[in-house]
Amino acid sequence: MTDATVPRPGFAWLSRKMAFGCVAVACFFIAWQAVFLFIPFNSLFITKPSLMFAALWRLTVSGQLFYDLGASALPFVCGLIAAVIIGVPLGILMGWRVRVGMTLDPLMTALYASPLVALAPLVVIFLGVGIAGKAFIVFLLTVFDFVFNAYAGVRSVDPLLLNVVRSFGGGEKDLYVKVIFPSVIPYIVAGARIGVGRALVGVLVGEFFAASEGVGYGIVRFGNFFALDSMFAYILVVTVLAVLLTQGIRWAERAAFPWRIGQ
Amino acid sequence: MTERRLDITFGGVADTRGAETVPVSSRWQRSEPAVLGVLGILVILLLWEAVPYVVTMKAGTKLFFTPPSQVAETLWTLFASGVIWAPLGVSAAGFAIGLGIAIVIALPLGILIGRSETLNALFDPFITAFNATPRLVFLPLVLLWFGLGLWSKVVIVAFGAIFPLLINTHEGIRNADRLLINVVRSFGAREWDVVRIVVVPNALPYILTGLRLAIGRAVLGVVVSEFFGSDQGLGVMMVQAASQYKVNIVFAGMIVFMTLSLAMTSLVKLLESRLGRWRPQRAASE
Repeated sequence: MTDATVPRPGFAWLSRKMAFGCVAVACFFIAWQAVFLFIPFNSLFITKPSLMFAALWRLTVSGQLFYDLGASALPFVCGLIAAVIIGVPLGILMGWRVRVGMTLDPLMTALYASPLVALAPLVVIFLGVGIAGKAFIVFLLTVFDFVFNAYAGVRSVDPLLLNVVRSFGGGEKDLYVKVIFPSVIPYIVAGARIGVGRALVGVLVGEFFAASEGVGYGIVRFGNFFALDSMFAYILVVTVLAVLLTQGIRWAERAAFPWRIGQ
Repeated sequence: MTERRLDITFGGVADTRGAETVPVSSRWQRSEPAVLGVLGILVILLLWEAVPYVVTMKAGTKLFFTPPSQVAETLWTLFASGVIWAPLGVSAAGFAIGLGIAIVIALPLGILIGRSETLNALFDPFITAFNATPRLVFLPLVLLWFGLGLWSKVVIVAFGAIFPLLINTHEGIRNADRLLINVVRSFGAREWDVVRIVVVPNALPYILTGLRLAIGRAVLGVVVSEFFGSDQGLGVMMVQAASQYKVNIVFAGMIVFMTLSLAMTSLVKLLESRLGRWRPQRAASE
């Protein structure tokens, strides 16, 4: 938007920024560790980074961490895939068939704005605490990200391109394959970036409610045992995963669709 | 074929190349989206209402099913008997205090990191990390520290609402026009004046966008924190109703949350479009 006024950051500045960031993170952990030299340490309510990393190591070696991660990953992936399979065609349909779009838009907006997490207790009672329940919560929370992004993607299709394909005798199928789908893909990826965060919320909600395994269950269980070092280790893992997923998709977006930077 | 053309119906999104070919729109064409939208919702509600007449359900499934008319009736009873006001008040208090704290923290911090690249570099890793992490993950910890009740809720709400506000404020501050800043500086303005005269007014639409996103997250925070660790509030009422298979109350509660969320968001949206009328449409960053 204001490319003219904000100069592009150079390599030196970027690496300086990176260095500053690393220093800040390091300082944060050191300060956290150092605080307990001055105030008494109560392991019931707080933990130290050293204990946290020790717990992380312990959980990694024992395989507990991977077991829980696997248990959480399956519904996460299933829910997201279901959301793509249902959300994207629905969004494309809404964008392409104008009247369908008009009819469904208010309904979808209302559902998107409503805290669908509120349905989680019902879902858990209805589908149980296993993969199905969690996957359905993930699906509910993410499907609208895909619907609305695919919708916006179709609406942004250049009409000129459509007319060109038509002029050269392309049929309905060619329009989909050659114009609509390619222009929608970047939007779907953008939807995935937002959806991933919400999907994590979905998994955690499902596991907080009722579960026997998984990362969210682990956090609650460690909290109940006052095993704060393990709890913080799991929180750290979730944080790192969340950052990796969102930044990873953002990076992939930049690599694959460089013309969309800044949108 | 004209029905499938994309360039006419969507003002704002498609470009204006086709604009000269648009016929003068009749009253029907202008009201069509609204009519179809309302019809869409009505049809869904009717279908939902008709399900029990068409399909025979097992007794087990029946426990989870409730037609919209029943939900509406429950909603009416809840308001008429006044049962809903106490929990709603508790939820609203948590929402308001949390959002207030988020605003008080996020705006000054956003201005600071927007004006200082060094501070931005220092804070950036934390903002990225905490923004990407679902706030929910801290809920057990917050419950441990603050206990069941209002303050855990406030912390969760504030924590969720801070980041959209902070990120959008930062974005708005950074996008201030260099030329204007230089002009003000040439006339002898200090940093404080620059911020007050140029930067903050410029950032206002961004801040409002942030506020809109923050409201959504704050409502989510209220729901979630009441589900898992609270003794009072609308969310508590819903969880208890769910465990007693009172599906009506769950849906009624959701409708209340949805209405409040939509009302507040569209209010901010209205403000946004009034204040940002001169600005090209921007995609809101979630």
